[in-house]
Amino acid sequence: MTALNASPVPSECLGEVVLEVTGLSKSFVGNAVLQSLNLELRRGEVHALLGENGSGKSTFIKILSGFHEPDPGGLVKIAGSDVPFGDAEESERSGFRFVHQDLGLIESMKVVDNLYLNREFSTRFGTLDLKATRQRARDDLARMGLERISPDATVRDLAPADRSGVAITRALRAGSAHPVNVVVFDEPTATLPDADVQLLLQTIRRVASSGVAVLYVTHRLDEVFEIADNVTILRNGRKVASRPVLGLTRRDIVKFLVGDEFEEARAESDAIEEREAGEAILEVAGLGSESHLDVSFGVRSGEIVGVAGIAGSGRESILGCLFGATRRAHGDVLVKGRPVKAGSPGDSLARGVAYLPPDRKARGAVVSLSARENLALGDPMRHWRFPRIRRSKERDDARAWFKEFGVRPPDALESAFGTFSGGNQQLILLAKWLRTDPALLLLDEPTQGVDVGAKARLHHHLVDAAGAGAAVVVASSDADELAALCHRVLIFSGGRIVATLEGADITPRNISIHSLGSATEDTNS
Amino acid sequence: MTARKGINLGLDRFSGLYIWALFIVVFGMWTPSLFLTQSTMHSVAAQQAIVAILALALLVPMVCGAFDLSVGATVNLATVVTVVLQTERGWGMWPSIIAAVAVGALVGALNGFIVVGLKVDSFIATLGTATVITAVQTIVTGGLQPLPPATEAWNNLTQHKIAGFQIVVLYLVVLAFLTWWVLDHTPAGRYLYAAGGNAEAARLTGVPVGRWTWMSLIWSGALCGFAGVLYASLSGPSLTFGAALLLPAFAAVFLGSTQITPGRFNVWGTLLAIYVLATGVKGLQLVTGEQWINDMFNGVALIAAVAFAGWRQRARLRRPAMFDGADVAPGSPTDPGPSNTAQELAAPSGASARA
Repeated sequence: MTALNASPVPSECLGEVVLEVTGLSKSFVGNAVLQSLNLELRRGEVHALLGENGSGKSTFIKILSGFHEPDPGGLVKIAGSDVPFGDAEESERSGFRFVHQDLGLIESMKVVDNLYLNREFSTRFGTLDLKATRQRARDDLARMGLERISPDATVRDLAPADRSGVAITRALRAGSAHPVNVVVFDEPTATLPDADVQLLLQTIRRVASSGVAVLYVTHRLDEVFEIADNVTILRNGRKVASRPVLGLTRRDIVKFLVGDEFEEARAESDAIEEREAGEAILEVAGLGSESHLDVSFGVRSGEIVGVAGIAGSGRESILGCLFGATRRAHGDVLVKGRPVKAGSPGDSLARGVAYLPPDRKARGAVVSLSARENLALGDPMRHWRFPRIRRSKERDDARAWFKEFGVRPPDALESAFGTFSGGNQQLILLAKWLRTDPALLLLDEPTQGVDVGAKARLHHHLVDAAGAGAAVVVASSDADELAALCHRVLIFSGGRIVATLEGADITPRNISIHSLGSATEDTNS
Repeated sequence: MTARKGINLGLDRFSGLYIWALFIVVFGMWTPSLFLTQSTMHSVAAQQAIVAILALALLVPMVCGAFDLSVGATVNLATVVTVVLQTERGWGMWPSIIAAVAVGALVGALNGFIVVGLKVDSFIATLGTATVITAVQTIVTGGLQPLPPATEAWNNLTQHKIAGFQIVVLYLVVLAFLTWWVLDHTPAGRYLYAAGGNAEAARLTGVPVGRWTWMSLIWSGALCGFAGVLYASLSGPSLTFGAALLLPAFAAVFLGSTQITPGRFNVWGTLLAIYVLATGVKGLQLVTGEQWINDMFNGVALIAAVAFAGWRQRARLRRPAMFDGADVAPGSPTDPGPSNTAQELAAPSGASARA
């Protein structure tokens, strides 16, 4: 029992290969997400894994954790022996541990209870056991260099970095029946304030030096240089580079990440290039909120403006904030010259603002209602003639939108919304808002989890809507999408707009470069 | 798709009708002299009318995603109020009826304040008010059962016969049509279903979810007030009967959500469920002569109804309209999962777990 599996491995073992991945592929419905990936991790190293959204890195991690089964032919070996696929327990037995962005802690409970929840340790009836458990917690935390955390503190009260520390400690806690070989960190710093990032990196370094291999997934390039020994970069499911960080520049990494060939993506936006400058629809002045600092910009009729930025940059929350779904601390949001109240979606809608939230199942739609009802929900009064809503008219209306937007299946107007595929759901929701003829359309991650065909159709309809005079703002983590759609792209970082790209400068590459904060080094290529 | 629908029309949406027919046939053959009589039909219809009106009251907040567990207590209070005002305060019949309805609406407004204003889970809030109302009722009556007014108009309010049925059945029919109209044919109904189906999505679509929750609870209270008046006229005031009506009403609302338009609470499914349950109970009582049948049957039916409704709902959402595979790519299961199911039942997920 006292053989602490995470205790320092004899120093001669450091550097020995512990994880070997060969020929790992995964496709979903004929769509290759990961293509014959090879990867080697050594004890004691921090290996960064980089890739844009959709590059296949989450799929890779989900294979390691036993969530997905890879296509036949791939092999994952730990310390020389094969790891069975598709089984989370086997994954843990082989020595994989995962620390996700969502830490999975129970915030209302104490540190010590979080650490030993569900373990043989949890059966403590007397004071003596309690004492031993607490001592165990203290030891485990100390091993991670986290003496500052009291086992009796409530997780909710801890600093963000310390919460991560508790999650790490839990993943590596002593007394686990299976030795830890590889710890995977999945964007652990995405939601951490800068000051906390340093603390967390220290902890991670300590984990690596104890003799396990660390696979570190991140979007923040700074961290790669700070912590990683080696870096592997994925793009479109393929490994494009795997090499020591030493000798790489930030520019090299960005080039690997984004690639060079993206110009075809702009085809769509050419169609909207020649437009007259319309009237000002949206004006944002000095907007401040929990996650924004002094944001100011304007959008004109007919314009499509993109919002880019890495996770935590303020990109994810700006649209909800403009719409009034969330609170604002200060600043003004004017639509057609009149202020929009914060915290009142009804008021925003009355002013012609429509908002498509990012998570369509949780916030965008009523999955239990039919497609027709969801489509009509933006304006149920339209077919209301006392004494009733004319259902046949509403159905005709829905059918026309289904046809226009190519929603499949075209006759499933009365099927529950939840039964449609992601792309079709999103098309229905876009139709719902376009049906209300909004002056300003705010779209948050409009094509997340949407297949290529539906994505192209969504883009097409957005361009159409702008062509018809709507002002459109699209926030997206997909640089290709923004480059394909937008007249102007606002880059967010740390809650501020740090750059505005226009015209020919809008390339996926530029968007990524600016989002990743390497603009000073390489503004244009 | 259409073929599947064809099968569902029979087995899925109208299973209650088959069960009802089965009850009638079985008990009809068992005790034809007792069960297959007009008086049995009329008495079941009239006795259940009050429960059915209560279920209609309950239905609207359920659609909107809020429980109203205070309906039993409210209906009880209303009987006492309307009777006490007439016999002890010398009020006229109509003013006392209006007062009872107003008291019910007031209880609903109080519930609305606690749920929307104080943000207390509706399950807890209405459980609390139910208990408080019971206390208020004891204050009003001093624990003594008031005597009903002996006027003919008062009795005729519910017992007047139309085509053999007591008039209270007609009230039920009128109220059912009214509720059905509101829920199924007006924008208000659309907002209520949206708020109950996904409060956040409804909010972001500009539906004032709080206001609708509030209104649905006021509706429920007012309707309970009216049901109380009817009960007092039909059976005389009682200090305790309300609690006994709560469970059958809930069972009917949940069971009803598996009928007619499966997956959502609805008027006709609820009424169907009421009478299917009542027929079953009546038949068993006639056969066995046991009084506990009522409680046993309703309790079992409530649990079975909720389990069945949840199961149907999960199955419904798991069946894709068309599967183009794209949604699976990031590795997330297409199934919205159990938390959504709770929402579909218009129950806040926490409350349904506790229920």
